Amino acid sequence: MKRWIGPLAVLLLVAAGVHALTLHRAPAVIMDRALDALAKRGVALHAFTTPQRVTPQTQQVVRSSPDLYYALCRYDLSAPGSQLDVTMGGWPGYQSLAFFDAQTDNFATLRGTGREVTVRLLPPGSAAQKGAIVSPSTKGVILIRRLAPDAARFDAAVEAGRADTCRLERART
Amino acid sequence: MMVRRALIYLAAIVTGCALGLGSALYMAGLWPEGRNMAFGNVDVGGWRSDFAVGSKAADPYTRARVARHGLLALAKSEAVYLTRATDETGARLREACTYRLSGGAMPAEWWSVTLYDGKSMLPANTDGALSVNAQGFPNGAWQAVIAPTRPANGGAWISSKGAGDFDLTLRLYIPNPALLASPNTALTPPRIERLSCGGAA
Repeated sequence: MKRWIGPLAVLLLVAAGVHALTLHRAPAVIMDRALDALAKRGVALHAFTTPQRVTPQTQQVVRSSPDLYYALCRYDLSAPGSQLDVTMGGWPGYQSLAFFDAQTDNFATLRGTGREVTVRLLPPGSAAQKGAIVSPSTKGVILIRRLAPDAARFDAAVEAGRADTCRLERART
Repeated sequence: MMVRRALIYLAAIVTGCALGLGSALYMAGLWPEGRNMAFGNVDVGGWRSDFAVGSKAADPYTRARVARHGLLALAKSEAVYLTRATDETGARLREACTYRLSGGAMPAEWWSVTLYDGKSMLPANTDGALSVNAQGFPNGAWQAVIAPTRPANGGAWISSKGAGDFDLTLRLYIPNPALLASPNTALTPPRIERLSCGGAA
């Protein structure tokens, strides 16, 4: 019996370690795959991609709402001195500008019902600045939601989206 | 003897990896396929949610499950998502059945109820009837039929065609503070009554 204690302890330790590691890594792996999938489906890097209305045939992300306009911008702030200038154009109804890091966390959301919103996104480790948000990771995705529950409202949201920007710039010195 | 001992340890490591991986994926709802978002620490009449969605406060199981089934979901101050996969009798929601979904005013600035299949995707149909929302019911009380074919009375309809086993997600945008503080008091959850299955009443 004694000779099985060692292998059994190894089995349990390995199982616990792999269990914890899998849980820890899962969000990052899923987000990494999602970013790759979005890139393959035409979601631009450092630009908001004009969306199609969400239908079973056009859905890109799990649990998308057919009642919302979604515009996505992937970002990568790994180049030294890079930052992102982000603008969400005005929209008379509900709209929000949401930031997600490489761990899938929604680290900031700005509501902009009836008004335009402009903000800078800074790389991890940056000092806090007025009018800026520091990203916890170099890569992530920005998502604009606009309430557009019918075709006419969706078309209007597409027009409003022409004022959206997601532009990579060098930090001002 | 040494070789046999080494093989035993190797088998323990391989088995430990499989157990650790499988248990993590299962407990986080990532495996097997078809498990849904009807989970969490908030339960209002069978509608489940985890108000830590979208934040670092979520436990690792919730974070992993949301990453798979609720990617890019907003934090609770902006939107709350409640999901239900069963009818009022506790039976699984199925494409073969017809249901009446009904409710009243919601404690938020805007709401919608959307149907998703077992893979958390909109069902593969072209009916153009994927959800109901506040815009269609300005007077508070509302109801809709969930069925694979359009109801004859022309009322509000969510199509379950092609959905198989499905669930419903209630979105509450800009929720009232009372909902976040005390969801069971602030929210009267929508009812899901099963009307018939496979042509039988």
